[in-house]
Amino acid sequence: MLWLLRSWKAPGSLAFVAVLFCCCSAKAAYAQDNYEIQVYGSDTVAPKTTMLELHSNFTAEGTKPLPGSPFAVDRMYPTNHAEHETVEITQGINDWAEVGFYIFTSARDGQGWQWVGDHIRPRVRVPDSWHWPIGVSLSTEIGYQRRDFATDTWTWEIRPIVDKTFGRWYFAVNPALERSFHGQTVNQGIGFSPSAKFSYDFNKYISGGLEYYADYGSLHGFDSLHNQQQQFFPAVDLNVSPNWEINFGVGVGPTASTDHLIIKGIVGRRFDWTHHRAGGSESIQ
Amino acid sequence: MNRREFIAKSAATAALSAAAGERSLWAQSPADVRLEIAPLKLEIAPGKHVQTIAYNGQVPGPLIRWPEGKPIAIDVLNRTDVPEIVHWHGLWIPSDQDGAMEEGSAMIAPGSQHRYNFTPRPSGLRWYHTHTYAGHDLKRGLYSGQFGCFYIEPKDEPGAYDQEVFLTLHDWNAYMGAATDASMDASYDYSTINDRLLGSGAPVQVKQNQRVVFRIVNASATVMHWLALAGHQMTVIAMDGNPVPVPSKISALRLAPAERADVVVEMNQPGVWVFGETREDIRKSGMGIVIEYAGQQGEPKWIDPPEVLWDYRPFAHAEPVSSQPDQNVPLLFESKFHGHGDFDYWTINGKSFPKTETVMLQEGKRYRLAMRNKSTDDHPVHLHRHTFEVTSLDGKPLSGLRKDVIVVPANSTAAVDFVAANPGATLFHCHQQTHMDFGFMMLFRYS
Repeated sequence: MLWLLRSWKAPGSLAFVAVLFCCCSAKAAYAQDNYEIQVYGSDTVAPKTTMLELHSNFTAEGTKPLPGSPFAVDRMYPTNHAEHETVEITQGINDWAEVGFYIFTSARDGQGWQWVGDHIRPRVRVPDSWHWPIGVSLSTEIGYQRRDFATDTWTWEIRPIVDKTFGRWYFAVNPALERSFHGQTVNQGIGFSPSAKFSYDFNKYISGGLEYYADYGSLHGFDSLHNQQQQFFPAVDLNVSPNWEINFGVGVGPTASTDHLIIKGIVGRRFDWTHHRAGGSESIQ
Repeated sequence: MNRREFIAKSAATAALSAAAGERSLWAQSPADVRLEIAPLKLEIAPGKHVQTIAYNGQVPGPLIRWPEGKPIAIDVLNRTDVPEIVHWHGLWIPSDQDGAMEEGSAMIAPGSQHRYNFTPRPSGLRWYHTHTYAGHDLKRGLYSGQFGCFYIEPKDEPGAYDQEVFLTLHDWNAYMGAATDASMDASYDYSTINDRLLGSGAPVQVKQNQRVVFRIVNASATVMHWLALAGHQMTVIAMDGNPVPVPSKISALRLAPAERADVVVEMNQPGVWVFGETREDIRKSGMGIVIEYAGQQGEPKWIDPPEVLWDYRPFAHAEPVSSQPDQNVPLLFESKFHGHGDFDYWTINGKSFPKTETVMLQEGKRYRLAMRNKSTDDHPVHLHRHTFEVTSLDGKPLSGLRKDVIVVPANSTAAVDFVAANPGATLFHCHQQTHMDFGFMMLFRYS
């Protein structure tokens, strides 16, 4: 993880514990969602290829413990100064399908390094051979997170993905829908959690832009803006090699229900099991 | 001004002069060969078609087989709505007949006819193809079906084979992914050998113990292809139409766009086999042809050849060339990024065509093109109207290998020598359509 793989650090002062976290944040949160902060592109991992990614997210300003309790609201561990490390392993199936697997972990003073849960994420896309003018993909993700880290333990997400590259510009939107199978919001139906991104290629290796993540609440009736999750991440992508994916950003959450300041980073390494140089022509297959 | 603007300006002038020439053309004697460029709905498999432009309603265009040194007249009628031109690839002919606008050959205006007159040489497998700009239009230029084989018969053809088969490789319906890195390469719906998908055309009929020579042209706009004949080995006897100094057996052949190879196969494994792309996805896209022994039946069989890394060296002498060049011409290839959603632009010594420097040649002198590819793409570079000798690859010397296209791999070097023996403007370019369209060209002129 290099620049963002920081060692976990204790909060500056336990005096923070005394600070009451805003009770207005008692909205129906599905989970601490800051494990994989990424707007998906439509492309899938190539067959005979494995993508290994490490998502490292440090919440510089998040939920804090309630007085006299190790937990924050909703009996979840606080996120303030928590380091979330998520390992994502994605295997390409063919030129239009992949399967991803997540291992979520969290480290924070007082709680140590803990396993949070796992998800599995099959994804398909419209093959390029269909000649669609935009990239389109559909991801579905199902999995478990421990109750200490999520109000809903078993959840399912379906995420349409649309993206497009124009010259130096890139746009992507992920209007995701979520559903709880076990937990606090199991009766609230489907939630709407869109995310979007635009970026500009400053040169071949550096692209910069803005990423947006939100959770509007149930489709039956959105939460008030105060209770919605809204995050904006100015972010940079480094395209140093076809085999590497590097992204980092700093996110600001302006609403009461959102962690207010998060530093995120993603480092991905592509393993091509055909052992051939990407784009190369010297080999037979 | 880019290549498109350069061609557009030049085409207007050329069309006028060509039209003036056409009036007198009709009074001339009949041409030896007549090509008609026109749209074609090409059936590549039963019920499966691609819309393209082709010569004489067929793909590849008609085989032109002509004795070395005998003058030929070829009429080309352009029945499309855009200016066209036909390049006679690998021939030592004058600039105004070579079929490259950049050298001064005339464009053929829509609806008009043009006569090419030249004396074909040197002998061997040459080919002809359009030399127009395609840019972002992935239906034009070499993406289309405008190509054909041109075999110049040697005066002393040894004919050490029992059967001769011409094969052309091509990829169809090019497209760029909507959201992928468009500065990379085009993808294709279909790939064919000659005009048919694997299994859709007539098989090549052979007999046991025959020696069959396959004369193969990679007519793809952008794709390097690997070919193997399942169960057999091939002996490469010529590259780009020129006999190799060391004929060598291989299990798989790599051909870059515009490269050719003559390979001899001893038919000693009776059966029904696939001669096709070694990469499964491209073979499934159609690149292959069935080889059927007499009296054999059944499903065509494919066997993956052993892993091979391509190297030109086994076909050349390991010793350095004995002649030293009169002048070195250093050429540095680099790319200029225009966004992940657009093609890269290409430079030679820091400049894109038509702003690339023009190197002046003196007739009779030997020149060494010392090429350094600093980009991350491989480049099959082509020198018009001359044949060069490959003198080093990545710093290692070799000699005797004579070609007109050589692949300079990414982040590597290559050197080739040629003798300035054919006065006139001479184009040098990468034969990847996207590369040549976006700056990878330069001109040599004779002083």
